[in-house]
Amino acid sequence: MSRRRIPWSRGLTRRDMLRMGPGAAAAMALGCAPGLPASAERALDAGRIAGAVVGASHRQGHLLRDGARPEPRQVRDVRVAIVGAGVAGLSAAWKLARSGMRDFAVLELEADAGGNARWGANDVSAYPWGAHYLPVPTAEATATRELVAEMGLVLDTGPDGEPVYDPRHLCHAPQERLFVDGGWREGLSARDVVNPAPGSAEAAELAAFEAEMRRYRDYRDARGRRAFALPVAAGSADAAVAGLDGMSMREYFDRAGWSSRRLRWYVDYCCRDDYGCTLETTSAWAGWHYFCSRPDDVEYLTWPEGNGRIVRHFLDRVGGNVLPGMLVYRVRPTASAGGGGVSGGSVSGGNVPAGIVPAGGVSPGPVSSGGLPGAGLPIGGASTGPVSQGAFPGGRPPDGVLPAGVVPAGAVPADGVEVDALDTRTETAVRFRARHCIYALPRFTAPHVIDGYALAGLESFTYSPWVVANLTVDRPPDGAAWDNVLHDSPSLGYVVATHQDLRTVPGPSVLTWYLPLAVPNPDAARAWMLAQEWRDWASLILADLVQAHPDIESRVSRIDVMLWGHAMIRPVPGFIRGEARRRAAAPHGAIRFAHSDMSGISVFEEAQYHGVRAAEEVMRALGHAHATSL
Amino acid sequence: MDDPRTAPAGPLGAGTGVLLIAVFTIATCGLIYELLAGTIASYLLGDSVTQFSTVIGAYLFSMGVGSYLSRHVRRDLLIRFIEIEILVGLVGGLSSPALFFAFAEVDAFRVVLYGWVFVTGVLVGLEIPFLIRILKDEFPLHDLVSRVLSLDYLGALAASLLFPLWLVPQVGLMRSSFVFGGLNVLVAVWTCHYFRRRHRRPRLTAQAYGALAVLGLGALFSDDLTAWSERRLYEDPVVLSRSSPYQRIVLTRGGDGVRLFLNGNLQFSTLDEYRYHEALVHPGLAAVAAPRRVLVLGGGDGMAVRELLKDERVEEVTLVDLDPMMTDIFRDHEAFATLNGHALRSPRVEIVNADAFVWLESNADRYDFIVVDFPDPRTYSLGKLYTTTFYRRLAGRLNTGGAAAIQSTSPLVSRRAFWCVVETVRAAGLHARPYHAPVPTFGEWGYVLASPEPLALSDAFPPGLRYLTPAVARSLFEFPADMAPVPVEVNQLNNQILVRYHAEGWQQYADGRPVTHP
Repeated sequence: MSRRRIPWSRGLTRRDMLRMGPGAAAAMALGCAPGLPASAERALDAGRIAGAVVGASHRQGHLLRDGARPEPRQVRDVRVAIVGAGVAGLSAAWKLARSGMRDFAVLELEADAGGNARWGANDVSAYPWGAHYLPVPTAEATATRELVAEMGLVLDTGPDGEPVYDPRHLCHAPQERLFVDGGWREGLSARDVVNPAPGSAEAAELAAFEAEMRRYRDYRDARGRRAFALPVAAGSADAAVAGLDGMSMREYFDRAGWSSRRLRWYVDYCCRDDYGCTLETTSAWAGWHYFCSRPDDVEYLTWPEGNGRIVRHFLDRVGGNVLPGMLVYRVRPTASAGGGGVSGGSVSGGNVPAGIVPAGGVSPGPVSSGGLPGAGLPIGGASTGPVSQGAFPGGRPPDGVLPAGVVPAGAVPADGVEVDALDTRTETAVRFRARHCIYALPRFTAPHVIDGYALAGLESFTYSPWVVANLTVDRPPDGAAWDNVLHDSPSLGYVVATHQDLRTVPGPSVLTWYLPLAVPNPDAARAWMLAQEWRDWASLILADLVQAHPDIESRVSRIDVMLWGHAMIRPVPGFIRGEARRRAAAPHGAIRFAHSDMSGISVFEEAQYHGVRAAEEVMRALGHAHATSL
Repeated sequence: MDDPRTAPAGPLGAGTGVLLIAVFTIATCGLIYELLAGTIASYLLGDSVTQFSTVIGAYLFSMGVGSYLSRHVRRDLLIRFIEIEILVGLVGGLSSPALFFAFAEVDAFRVVLYGWVFVTGVLVGLEIPFLIRILKDEFPLHDLVSRVLSLDYLGALAASLLFPLWLVPQVGLMRSSFVFGGLNVLVAVWTCHYFRRRHRRPRLTAQAYGALAVLGLGALFSDDLTAWSERRLYEDPVVLSRSSPYQRIVLTRGGDGVRLFLNGNLQFSTLDEYRYHEALVHPGLAAVAAPRRVLVLGGGDGMAVRELLKDERVEEVTLVDLDPMMTDIFRDHEAFATLNGHALRSPRVEIVNADAFVWLESNADRYDFIVVDFPDPRTYSLGKLYTTTFYRRLAGRLNTGGAAAIQSTSPLVSRRAFWCVVETVRAAGLHARPYHAPVPTFGEWGYVLASPEPLALSDAFPPGLRYLTPAVARSLFEFPADMAPVPVEVNQLNNQILVRYHAEGWQQYADGRPVTHP
């Protein structure tokens, strides 16, 4: 059974990807690779397996790239304009609405809100297009705890004072399994995966790794903060912890002398899973954060549509304020805000915390109070995939886009913001005049959208591309767990959308397959990815799954594929502690930023944290009374 | 004909002896078919006296019909005789597989059974009159009748001895059927051969060889055919075997009654299922003051419903079982509907074919008593039906003062699994009263009574119980030391610890290792 090669698969081109142009990578993948089993190729050729590459708003994106920036003829006044309806933008909206402020608009390019937490549905099941679970939030993730309680996921408070979650929404058993050495093995902890012979050197390495994990988990700094917390902003700033960002996880392993292939594979898998990076490209800080920010026995909240369930909850609350299909092409701070609102200066008498410069200057905001500035969360929504592909192919800003005479952020007056957007349904431009703006898109887009915005070191914000596919199958594979990982694959395997189904006899299902393009040079991988067609993805996905499921091609009736150009911020060594990320926390006039890329790790809690934080800053600036969620 | 001395020199010559051997053979075969039909009917339908009486009666009657019809055949007697032999060989030879197949696949099994018996009987009934007429010129009548009938009865004796002593135990019903059908056809072949000069009928000979080949193949592969009826998997003959989208349903019938297997796992044996079902239903039912509305989850065999209907206070029973094939068999298939006393046809019973967990969620009705009779938590899918989430939902469907009786696997074999169910019921906020009953085919079996308020037990059982008495019922709530509580975790959707406990207990049991509980 020959397998189509994925060009960055181990030992083939991953190391060489930097040297190779994207064209060469694509040629390698499609030209030289042996194919699928003939039956699968026939199934694809005969159209017995249907599907499409879905969700990419290339057309809309091209409007922007082609320079279509019409002068808006309509004007709408809102107190707060939120750009991007991913988790960060929706969280900001959620916090505003929860605090009784309803005069805001959330502008989203895609037809559906949710960003990385978007979901789909067919007559078999709902399914995720991205993030598919939320770990039970830790004590530091106060906003997330507030959210899950509001969602009705908490049944009770346990004797330890911790919330007791409705088991219906906790990931049911069996949770994880790994296909390795030709068979499935239950469990996906380091111990499950390494499975060392007692007394072997590997067993000693594993024990050392686990001891290190415990050490970082139990670590408390002088202020009682944990080494690694969620949100990142709540964690320790001690040099002993922050210094880990100076090396890669690979270097950490080398220094520790851990050479176990299985252990390295496991940690590499975790890095790909959480960050779209490899052992080599993940900072040791981020690597340990993954293992140590949550308890050992963490449970996962999950639903058929993944974190789409949370998005649906947000939309229940703020859906009326979300405007889809809106391509925001310019955000401009203004000296005199429209809408006749309170002037920036007048806010200063209100409940603005010390340390915030109310007007005429940059308010550092509470983010900077800790050592490390706030963390980020999963990609800010639908927009980051398609927007970036369409608008800025390769993820690089077109040359000469930055206007001459860029105004340093701190010099911009905070009076108001004009947000110009193209309604892609009517192709008419609308100007939103707002007192404040929360810019909840990934930061690499900012210079193209925000007038006069520049951030030194912005190029250090890099994003990994991801491919997510949903396969409709006649029933889940025998013995399927929730998360089914393949050892010998660049993919992460698949999750089963119907796993939480309570029916005793499984019916048809949807498998969500994930492929992070975890390569040193994401631009090349992104270009390669965008060059592939549905047929290429279908064979690649089937070839990946056929190793564990020889009959997969006869079970699948449909394969839909979504390409995420900039799915996750990459916590490469140095990024977390880097100057660029620190500076990125600063507002730009009345524009505040909210995105998980500000944290350096793309997880829900970070996105929500930044959304809520930005919303609270805005409310403070407006003198709007509210209880803090942070 | 008038002169007996001319007989050996008559037109048949040496063939006479052949035909007389044929008489013996066909007589043996004829009785074998009759015995096969009677035996298979007894296996499949039970009540062997009735089955044998009716089958023998029907067979003899149809032989009479055949004898009567023989008068209408005037010409080419030898040819007709050969044709009859081929036909009877095929019909009789295929009787076993045909009847087993019909029982599994056809609802009107009795029509097939008696139809088959009738056709076989008519054909066999034609044989002796034909033979007598063929041989009438060879022997004086008194001699002929004496020889033919004595050989006929001798053949019957041979058959009646062979059948129970050798054929059933050694050869099996399936192969015996083929072998004796083959012998019947051999008579035809032999006859063709001996009279080939007088009656050259190559087509007839070919047909005879064809039939022989069919039956020979059948005999050769009868083990596979037997495997088809899954006799190897089960101790007793499989009398019904169907695959629904949800499970494989197999019913066997043997010396100690009917057994139901779902996916190969024994669900009940009629030998002692009354113990299991009386213990499942009555202690809880008696403890509920006014059990008007009752819900049964699982239990599509209708046995628990049968027990419920014994209690006159029960006004309506809703039976929720996933598999319509299961409830259909136990409602419509006479042989099995009798086992539950036609409970599923009662006007007090409503059958819903739905997944219990999903149905509970979509249904807001409340019940006074709920019987939870699911298969053991062998898989994660089944384990969901034993979680706190399920029991909380169950609690929401109980009226004040109501109770649920839950089958909870064996506290002896899988002690941890049993007490895990008890603790899980408690964790779901219900009061739990564990009890157990000895069911010989299962072993010690465990149940849990779950109720929103503490339950006061009662001895007021309905009449007609075979196992449960007030004194026995009280003893069921006492646990001997080897089944006493052990510390366990609560079964939740996200840990499904019960599936592990269950597997561990039953694995140790299967391995014959002592069941230890540290």
